Amino acid sequence: MELTELLTLLIIGLLTFAVGLWLSGRPITKPQYRAAPPWPQRAPFLGGGSPENHAWNRFHARYYPMTLLLIAFEMEMMFMYPWAVVYVAEGMKALVEMGMFLAILSVGIIYGWREGAFKWQ
Amino acid sequence: MTASLTNALLVMAILAIGVYLVAIINRAWANALGHSGAGNPFTAPFYSAASLWVAPANTTEAPDAMAWHLAPVLYLTLAAMGLALVPWSQNLVPVDLTTGIVLWGALEPLATVVIFLHGWSANAHLSMLGAYRYVSLGLSYLLVSMFVLIGVALPAESLQFSAVVESQAGLWNVIRQPLGLPLFLLVGLGISFWGPLNFADSNDLAGGTSSESSGRARLVWQAGRAVMLVAFSAIGATAFLGGWLGPVLPGFVWMILKTMVVLAMALLLGQLIPRFSPDRFLTIAWVLLLPLAFVDLVWAGLEALP
Repeated sequence: MELTELLTLLIIGLLTFAVGLWLSGRPITKPQYRAAPPWPQRAPFLGGGSPENHAWNRFHARYYPMTLLLIAFEMEMMFMYPWAVVYVAEGMKALVEMGMFLAILSVGIIYGWREGAFKWQ
Repeated sequence: MTASLTNALLVMAILAIGVYLVAIINRAWANALGHSGAGNPFTAPFYSAASLWVAPANTTEAPDAMAWHLAPVLYLTLAAMGLALVPWSQNLVPVDLTTGIVLWGALEPLATVVIFLHGWSANAHLSMLGAYRYVSLGLSYLLVSMFVLIGVALPAESLQFSAVVESQAGLWNVIRQPLGLPLFLLVGLGISFWGPLNFADSNDLAGGTSSESSGRARLVWQAGRAVMLVAFSAIGATAFLGGWLGPVLPGFVWMILKTMVVLAMALLLGQLIPRFSPDRFLTIAWVLLLPLAFVDLVWAGLEALP
Protein backbone atom coordinates (compact mmCIF):
# COMPACT_ATOMS: atom_id res chain seq x y z
CA MET A 1 0.00 0.00 0.00
CA GLU A 2 2.66 2.46 1.09
CA LEU A 3 4.82 1.34 -1.85
CA THR A 4 2.03 2.24 -4.29
CA GLU A 5 1.89 5.72 -2.80
CA LEU A 6 5.64 6.11 -3.14
CA LEU A 7 5.45 4.88 -6.74
CA THR A 8 2.80 7.51 -7.48
CA LEU A 9 5.01 10.15 -5.89
CA LEU A 10 7.95 9.02 -8.02
CA ILE A 11 5.86 9.16 -11.20
CA ILE A 12 4.64 12.65 -10.31
CA GLY A 13 8.20 13.79 -9.62
CA LEU A 14 9.58 12.38 -12.87
CA LEU A 15 6.66 13.62 -14.94
CA THR A 16 6.91 17.16 -13.58
CA PHE A 17 10.67 17.10 -14.03
CA ALA A 18 10.32 16.04 -17.66
CA VAL A 19 7.61 18.60 -18.42
CA GLY A 20 9.66 21.29 -16.67
CA LEU A 21 12.75 20.43 -18.68
CA TRP A 22 10.78 20.62 -21.90
CA LEU A 23 9.10 23.89 -20.91
CA SER A 24 12.33 25.60 -19.92
CA GLY A 25 13.90 24.84 -23.29
CA ARG A 26 17.44 24.06 -24.32
CA PRO A 27 20.22 25.76 -22.38
CA ILE A 28 21.41 28.68 -24.45
CA THR A 29 25.03 28.24 -23.37
CA LYS A 30 25.34 25.37 -25.83
CA PRO A 31 26.39 27.29 -28.93
CA GLN A 32 25.33 24.56 -31.32
CA TYR A 33 21.70 25.39 -30.61
CA ARG A 34 21.59 29.14 -30.84
CA ALA A 35 24.05 32.01 -31.00
CA ALA A 36 24.72 33.40 -27.54
CA PRO A 37 24.26 37.16 -27.00
CA PRO A 38 27.38 39.30 -27.48
CA TRP A 39 29.80 39.69 -24.56
CA PRO A 40 28.70 43.15 -23.35
CA GLN A 41 25.19 41.81 -23.05
CA ARG A 42 26.41 38.79 -21.11
CA ALA A 43 28.08 40.87 -18.39
CA PRO A 44 26.17 40.52 -15.09
CA PHE A 45 23.53 43.25 -14.71
CA LEU A 46 24.61 45.93 -12.28
CA GLY A 47 22.32 48.79 -13.23
CA GLY A 48 24.72 50.08 -15.87
CA GLY A 49 28.02 49.60 -14.09
CA SER A 50 30.42 46.82 -14.93
CA PRO A 51 31.46 44.31 -12.25
CA GLU A 52 34.94 44.53 -10.79
CA ASN A 53 34.93 41.09 -9.27
CA HIS A 54 33.37 37.69 -9.66
CA ALA A 55 29.94 37.15 -8.11
CA TRP A 56 31.17 33.88 -6.65
CA ASN A 57 33.42 35.77 -4.31
CA ARG A 58 34.25 34.83 -0.76
CA PHE A 59 31.32 35.97 1.26
CA HIS A 60 30.98 36.31 4.99
CA ALA A 61 27.90 34.22 5.79
CA ARG A 62 26.74 36.29 8.73
CA TYR A 63 23.71 34.09 9.21
CA TYR A 64 26.00 31.28 10.31
CA PRO A 65 24.91 31.30 14.02
CA MET A 66 21.30 31.01 12.82
CA THR A 67 22.10 27.93 10.77
CA LEU A 68 23.44 26.23 13.91
CA LEU A 69 20.26 27.08 15.79
CA LEU A 70 18.17 25.83 12.86
CA ILE A 71 20.01 22.51 12.91
CA ALA A 72 19.37 22.18 16.66
CA PHE A 73 15.64 22.62 16.05
CA GLU A 74 15.59 20.40 12.98
CA MET A 75 17.13 17.59 15.03
CA GLU A 76 14.47 18.19 17.62
CA MET A 77 11.89 17.89 14.84
CA MET A 78 13.10 14.34 14.22
CA PHE A 79 12.09 13.44 17.78
CA MET A 80 8.86 15.34 17.37
CA TYR A 81 7.49 13.26 14.49
CA PRO A 82 7.18 10.00 16.50
CA TRP A 83 6.25 12.00 19.59
CA ALA A 84 3.26 13.53 17.75
CA VAL A 85 1.91 10.07 16.87
CA VAL A 86 1.95 8.70 20.44
CA TYR A 87 1.11 12.02 22.10
CA VAL A 88 -2.56 11.38 22.97
CA ALA A 89 -1.79 7.86 24.19
CA GLU A 90 1.01 9.09 26.48
CA GLY A 91 -0.98 12.10 27.69
CA MET A 92 0.35 14.73 30.12
CA LYS A 93 3.72 13.00 30.44
CA ALA A 94 4.47 13.57 26.74
CA LEU A 95 3.48 17.23 27.00
CA VAL A 96 5.76 17.84 29.98
CA GLU A 97 8.67 16.02 28.35
CA MET A 98 8.45 18.00 25.12
CA GLY A 99 7.87 21.18 27.12
CA MET A 100 11.15 20.60 28.95
CA PHE A 101 12.95 19.88 25.69
CA LEU A 102 11.57 23.04 24.07
CA ALA A 103 12.39 25.07 27.18
CA ILE A 104 16.04 23.98 27.00
CA LEU A 105 16.21 24.88 23.29
CA SER A 106 14.50 28.19 24.00
CA VAL A 107 17.37 29.09 26.31
CA GLY A 108 19.47 28.85 23.14
CA ILE A 109 17.18 31.34 21.39
CA ILE A 110 17.36 33.76 24.32
CA TYR A 111 21.15 33.44 24.43
CA GLY A 112 21.36 33.94 20.66
CA TRP A 113 19.09 36.98 20.91
CA ARG A 114 21.26 38.46 23.65
CA GLU A 115 24.38 37.87 21.58
CA GLY A 116 22.77 39.60 18.61
CA ALA A 117 22.52 36.50 16.39
CA PHE A 118 19.10 37.60 15.12
CA LYS A 119 20.22 41.04 14.01
CA TRP A 120 20.84 41.85 10.38
CA GLN A 121 24.55 42.60 10.38
CA MET B 1 0.04 0.87 -11.55
CA THR B 2 -2.93 2.20 -13.51
CA ALA B 3 -4.20 3.91 -10.36
CA SER B 4 -0.77 5.47 -9.86
CA LEU B 5 -0.73 6.83 -13.40
CA THR B 6 -4.26 8.21 -13.13
CA ASN B 7 -3.37 9.92 -9.86
CA ALA B 8 -0.18 11.34 -11.37
CA LEU B 9 -2.08 12.76 -14.34
CA LEU B 10 -4.67 14.22 -11.97
CA VAL B 11 -1.94 16.05 -10.05
CA MET B 12 -0.49 17.35 -13.32
CA ALA B 13 -3.92 18.67 -14.31
CA ILE B 14 -4.39 20.35 -10.92
CA LEU B 15 -0.91 21.83 -11.31
CA ALA B 16 -1.74 23.40 -14.68
CA ILE B 17 -5.12 24.69 -13.52
CA GLY B 18 -3.50 25.98 -10.32
CA VAL B 19 -0.99 28.15 -12.18
CA TYR B 20 -3.77 29.71 -14.27
CA LEU B 21 -5.96 30.19 -11.18
CA VAL B 22 -3.19 32.02 -9.32
CA ALA B 23 -2.71 34.34 -12.31
CA ILE B 24 -6.47 35.01 -12.58
CA ILE B 25 -7.05 35.69 -8.87
CA ASN B 26 -3.93 37.81 -8.56
CA ARG B 27 -4.93 40.02 -11.50
CA ALA B 28 -8.53 40.19 -10.31
CA TRP B 29 -7.35 41.49 -6.92
CA ALA B 30 -5.03 43.96 -8.62
CA ASN B 31 -7.94 45.28 -10.71
CA ALA B 32 -10.27 45.43 -7.71
CA LEU B 33 -7.68 47.40 -5.73
CA GLY B 34 -7.05 49.76 -8.62
CA HIS B 35 -3.45 48.70 -9.24
CA SER B 36 -2.55 49.44 -12.83
CA GLY B 37 -1.24 47.13 -15.50
CA ALA B 38 -2.99 43.89 -14.55
CA GLY B 39 -5.13 43.69 -17.68
CA ASN B 40 -7.98 41.29 -18.27
CA PRO B 41 -7.60 38.61 -15.57
CA PHE B 42 -8.59 35.78 -17.92
CA THR B 43 -6.60 36.59 -21.05
CA ALA B 44 -3.61 38.55 -19.73
CA PRO B 45 -1.91 35.44 -18.20
CA PHE B 46 -1.79 33.90 -21.68
CA TYR B 47 -0.22 37.04 -23.14
CA SER B 48 2.44 37.12 -20.40
CA ALA B 49 3.17 33.42 -20.78
CA ALA B 50 3.39 33.74 -24.56
CA SER B 51 5.75 36.71 -24.36
CA LEU B 52 8.03 34.77 -22.01
CA TRP B 53 7.76 31.71 -24.26
CA VAL B 54 9.10 33.53 -27.33
CA ALA B 55 11.55 35.82 -25.52
CA PRO B 56 15.19 34.90 -26.12
CA ALA B 57 16.91 33.22 -23.21
CA ASN B 58 19.56 35.28 -21.47
CA THR B 59 22.96 34.12 -20.35
CA THR B 60 25.82 35.61 -18.36
CA GLU B 61 29.56 35.47 -18.87
CA ALA B 62 30.35 32.36 -16.86
CA PRO B 63 27.22 30.77 -15.42
CA ASP B 64 26.87 27.34 -13.85
CA ALA B 65 24.84 26.34 -16.89
CA MET B 66 23.48 23.01 -15.74
CA ALA B 67 22.44 24.27 -12.30
CA TRP B 68 20.83 27.32 -13.91
CA HIS B 69 18.83 25.11 -16.23
CA LEU B 70 17.83 22.70 -13.46
CA ALA B 71 16.93 25.06 -10.61
CA PRO B 72 13.49 26.20 -11.94
CA VAL B 73 12.65 22.63 -12.98
CA LEU B 74 13.58 21.27 -9.54
CA TYR B 75 11.55 23.97 -7.80
CA LEU B 76 8.52 23.07 -9.92
CA THR B 77 9.08 19.38 -9.14
CA LEU B 78 9.22 20.02 -5.38
CA ALA B 79 6.03 22.08 -5.59
CA ALA B 80 4.30 19.30 -7.55
CA MET B 81 5.34 16.72 -4.95
CA GLY B 82 3.86 18.95 -2.26
CA LEU B 83 0.65 19.28 -4.26
CA ALA B 84 0.53 15.48 -4.61
CA LEU B 85 0.06 15.10 -0.84
CA VAL B 86 -3.23 16.99 -0.81
CA PRO B 87 -6.29 14.82 -0.08
CA TRP B 88 -9.06 16.11 -2.37
CA SER B 89 -11.76 13.83 -0.95
CA GLN B 90 -12.02 10.71 1.17
CA ASN B 91 -11.32 8.41 -1.80
CA LEU B 92 -9.27 10.80 -3.91
CA VAL B 93 -5.83 11.20 -2.37
CA PRO B 94 -3.08 11.09 -5.03
CA VAL B 95 -0.32 10.25 -2.55
CA ASP B 96 -1.69 9.14 0.83
CA LEU B 97 1.59 8.57 2.70
CA THR B 98 1.37 7.70 6.41
CA THR B 99 4.31 10.10 6.77
CA GLY B 100 2.89 12.92 4.63
CA ILE B 101 3.79 15.65 7.13
CA VAL B 102 7.39 14.40 7.26
CA LEU B 103 7.64 14.55 3.47
CA TRP B 104 6.17 18.06 3.47
CA GLY B 105 8.74 19.01 6.10
CA ALA B 106 11.49 17.71 3.81
CA LEU B 107 10.23 19.64 0.78
CA GLU B 108 10.49 23.04 2.48
CA PRO B 109 14.25 23.01 3.20
CA LEU B 110 14.91 21.46 -0.22
CA ALA B 111 13.03 24.37 -1.80
CA THR B 112 15.37 26.69 0.08
CA VAL B 113 18.36 24.86 -1.42
CA VAL B 114 16.89 25.12 -4.92
CA ILE B 115 16.14 28.85 -4.55
CA PHE B 116 19.75 29.37 -3.49
CA LEU B 117 20.91 27.33 -6.48
CA HIS B 118 18.86 29.53 -8.81
CA GLY B 119 20.49 32.69 -7.47
CA TRP B 120 23.95 31.15 -7.39
CA SER B 121 24.07 29.64 -10.85
CA ALA B 122 23.75 32.86 -12.89
CA ASN B 123 27.08 34.08 -11.46
CA ALA B 124 25.77 37.63 -11.19
CA HIS B 125 25.91 39.91 -8.17
CA LEU B 126 22.27 40.82 -7.75
CA SER B 127 21.01 37.27 -8.11
CA MET B 128 23.68 36.07 -5.67
CA LEU B 129 22.55 38.70 -3.17
CA GLY B 130 18.95 37.55 -3.56
CA ALA B 131 20.04 33.97 -2.89
CA TYR B 132 22.00 34.81 0.27
CA ARG B 133 19.20 37.01 1.51
CA TYR B 134 16.62 34.32 0.89
CA VAL B 135 18.62 31.69 2.78
CA SER B 136 19.19 33.88 5.82
CA LEU B 137 15.47 34.67 6.02
CA GLY B 138 14.28 31.21 5.00
CA LEU B 139 16.26 29.74 7.89
CA SER B 140 14.31 31.96 10.22
CA TYR B 141 10.77 30.93 9.31
CA LEU B 142 11.09 27.30 8.13
CA LEU B 143 10.68 26.01 11.69
CA VAL B 144 7.41 27.87 12.20
CA SER B 145 5.51 25.86 9.58
CA MET B 146 6.80 22.56 10.96
CA PHE B 147 5.69 23.36 14.50
CA VAL B 148 2.17 24.26 13.38
CA LEU B 149 1.97 21.07 11.27
CA ILE B 150 3.08 18.96 14.26
CA GLY B 151 0.28 20.77 16.10
CA VAL B 152 -2.34 19.36 13.72
CA ALA B 153 -0.77 15.89 13.92
CA LEU B 154 -1.37 15.73 17.69
CA PRO B 155 -5.19 15.34 17.70
CA ALA B 156 -4.97 13.12 14.59
CA GLU B 157 -2.42 10.81 16.28
CA SER B 158 -0.97 10.42 12.82
CA LEU B 159 1.34 12.13 10.32
CA GLN B 160 -1.03 11.30 7.45
CA PHE B 161 -2.88 14.25 5.91
CA SER B 162 -6.08 12.26 5.37
CA ALA B 163 -6.06 11.31 9.09
CA VAL B 164 -5.57 14.99 9.94
CA VAL B 165 -8.75 15.79 7.99
CA GLU B 166 -10.71 13.02 9.70
CA SER B 167 -9.62 14.28 13.13
CA GLN B 168 -11.43 17.56 12.36
CA ALA B 169 -14.86 15.96 12.02
CA GLY B 170 -15.96 17.50 15.34
CA LEU B 171 -14.30 20.89 15.10
CA TRP B 172 -11.92 22.38 12.55
CA ASN B 173 -8.36 23.03 13.57
CA VAL B 174 -8.69 26.69 12.62
CA ILE B 175 -10.85 27.06 15.76
CA ARG B 176 -9.05 24.53 17.93
CA GLN B 177 -5.61 25.98 17.10
CA PRO B 178 -6.29 29.53 15.93
CA LEU B 179 -2.61 30.50 15.56
CA GLY B 180 -1.89 27.73 13.08
CA LEU B 181 -3.37 28.94 9.79
CA PRO B 182 -1.97 32.51 9.85
CA LEU B 183 1.51 31.25 10.73
CA PHE B 184 1.36 28.55 8.05
CA LEU B 185 0.16 31.01 5.42
CA LEU B 186 2.97 33.39 6.29
CA VAL B 187 5.53 30.63 5.68
CA GLY B 188 3.72 29.83 2.41
CA LEU B 189 4.23 33.41 1.23
CA GLY B 190 7.87 33.11 2.29
CA ILE B 191 8.67 29.87 0.49
CA SER B 192 7.00 31.00 -2.72
CA PHE B 193 8.64 34.42 -2.06
CA TRP B 194 5.37 36.18 -2.70
CA GLY B 195 4.24 39.74 -1.86
CA PRO B 196 5.29 40.92 1.60
CA LEU B 197 7.82 38.09 1.98
CA ASN B 198 9.41 38.34 -1.45
CA PHE B 199 13.02 38.37 -0.30
CA ALA B 200 14.49 36.34 -3.17
CA ASP B 201 13.13 37.97 -6.33
CA SER B 202 12.11 41.46 -5.29
CA ASN B 203 12.46 44.69 -7.21
CA ASP B 204 14.98 46.23 -4.83
CA LEU B 205 17.48 43.69 -6.22
CA ALA B 206 16.27 44.22 -9.80
CA GLY B 207 14.59 40.82 -9.69
CA GLY B 208 16.95 39.07 -7.28
CA THR B 209 17.64 35.44 -8.12
CA SER B 210 15.82 35.76 -11.44
CA SER B 211 17.37 39.11 -12.41
CA GLU B 212 19.41 37.39 -15.13
CA SER B 213 16.85 34.85 -16.27
CA SER B 214 14.47 35.42 -19.14
CA GLY B 215 12.38 33.50 -21.63
CA ARG B 216 11.13 30.01 -20.98
CA ALA B 217 13.33 29.38 -17.93
CA ARG B 218 11.72 32.39 -16.27
CA LEU B 219 8.28 31.09 -17.21
CA VAL B 220 8.99 27.78 -15.43
CA TRP B 221 10.32 29.63 -12.40
CA GLN B 222 7.18 31.77 -12.14
CA ALA B 223 4.97 28.73 -12.65
CA GLY B 224 6.84 26.92 -9.87
CA ARG B 225 6.16 29.79 -7.48
CA ALA B 226 2.47 29.70 -8.33
CA VAL B 227 2.28 25.92 -7.82
CA MET B 228 4.06 26.24 -4.48
CA LEU B 229 1.50 28.81 -3.36
CA VAL B 230 -1.36 26.53 -4.48
CA ALA B 231 0.21 23.60 -2.63
CA PHE B 232 0.51 25.70 0.53
CA SER B 233 -3.11 26.86 0.24
CA ALA B 234 -4.36 23.32 -0.30
CA ILE B 235 -2.33 21.91 2.61
CA GLY B 236 -3.52 24.85 4.73
CA ALA B 237 -7.13 24.05 3.86
CA THR B 238 -6.46 20.37 4.64
CA ALA B 239 -4.74 20.93 7.95
CA PHE B 240 -6.84 23.76 9.35
CA LEU B 241 -10.15 24.12 7.46
CA GLY B 242 -11.30 20.51 7.61
CA GLY B 243 -10.29 19.49 4.08
CA TRP B 244 -13.09 17.66 2.31
CA LEU B 245 -15.47 17.82 5.33
CA GLY B 246 -18.67 19.78 4.82
CA PRO B 247 -22.42 19.35 4.46
CA VAL B 248 -24.51 18.69 1.31
CA LEU B 249 -21.87 19.24 -1.38
CA PRO B 250 -19.48 16.41 -2.29
CA GLY B 251 -16.10 16.39 -0.57
CA PHE B 252 -13.89 17.49 -3.44
CA VAL B 253 -16.08 20.56 -4.07
CA TRP B 254 -15.60 21.63 -0.45
CA MET B 255 -11.89 21.05 -0.74
CA ILE B 256 -11.62 23.12 -3.93
CA LEU B 257 -13.68 25.93 -2.39
CA LYS B 258 -11.57 25.99 0.77
CA THR B 259 -8.32 25.93 -1.18
CA MET B 260 -9.51 28.82 -3.32
CA VAL B 261 -10.50 30.84 -0.25
CA VAL B 262 -7.05 30.37 1.31
CA LEU B 263 -5.36 31.09 -2.02
CA ALA B 264 -7.41 34.24 -2.56
CA MET B 265 -6.52 35.36 0.97
CA ALA B 266 -2.80 34.78 0.36
CA LEU B 267 -2.92 36.67 -2.95
CA LEU B 268 -4.86 39.54 -1.37
CA LEU B 269 -2.17 39.83 1.31
CA GLY B 270 0.38 39.82 -1.51
CA GLN B 271 -1.37 42.75 -3.18
CA LEU B 272 -2.13 44.73 0.00
CA ILE B 273 0.94 44.48 2.23
CA PRO B 274 4.23 46.08 1.22
CA ARG B 275 7.36 43.99 1.47
CA PHE B 276 8.74 43.70 4.99
CA SER B 277 12.12 45.14 5.63
CA PRO B 278 14.37 42.05 5.67
CA ASP B 279 16.41 43.10 8.69
CA ARG B 280 13.32 43.66 10.83
CA PHE B 281 11.60 40.54 9.62
CA LEU B 282 14.61 38.42 10.56
CA THR B 283 14.33 39.47 14.20
CA ILE B 284 10.52 39.18 14.12
CA ALA B 285 10.74 35.63 12.77
CA TRP B 286 13.03 34.40 15.54
CA VAL B 287 11.79 36.28 18.58
CA LEU B 288 8.07 36.58 17.76
CA LEU B 289 6.93 34.02 15.16
CA LEU B 290 8.93 31.06 16.51
CA PRO B 291 7.73 31.55 20.13
CA LEU B 292 4.18 31.96 18.74
CA ALA B 293 4.64 28.59 17.01
CA PHE B 294 5.66 27.11 20.40
CA VAL B 295 2.51 28.59 21.93
CA ASP B 296 0.47 27.07 19.09
CA LEU B 297 2.02 23.66 19.76
CA VAL B 298 1.36 23.80 23.51
CA TRP B 299 -2.18 25.07 22.80
CA ALA B 300 -2.75 22.19 20.40
CA GLY B 301 -1.26 19.76 22.94
CA LEU B 302 -3.46 20.90 25.83
CA GLU B 303 -6.51 20.87 23.56
CA ALA B 304 -5.78 17.36 22.30
CA LEU B 305 -5.47 15.82 25.77
CA PRO B 306 -8.49 13.65 26.57
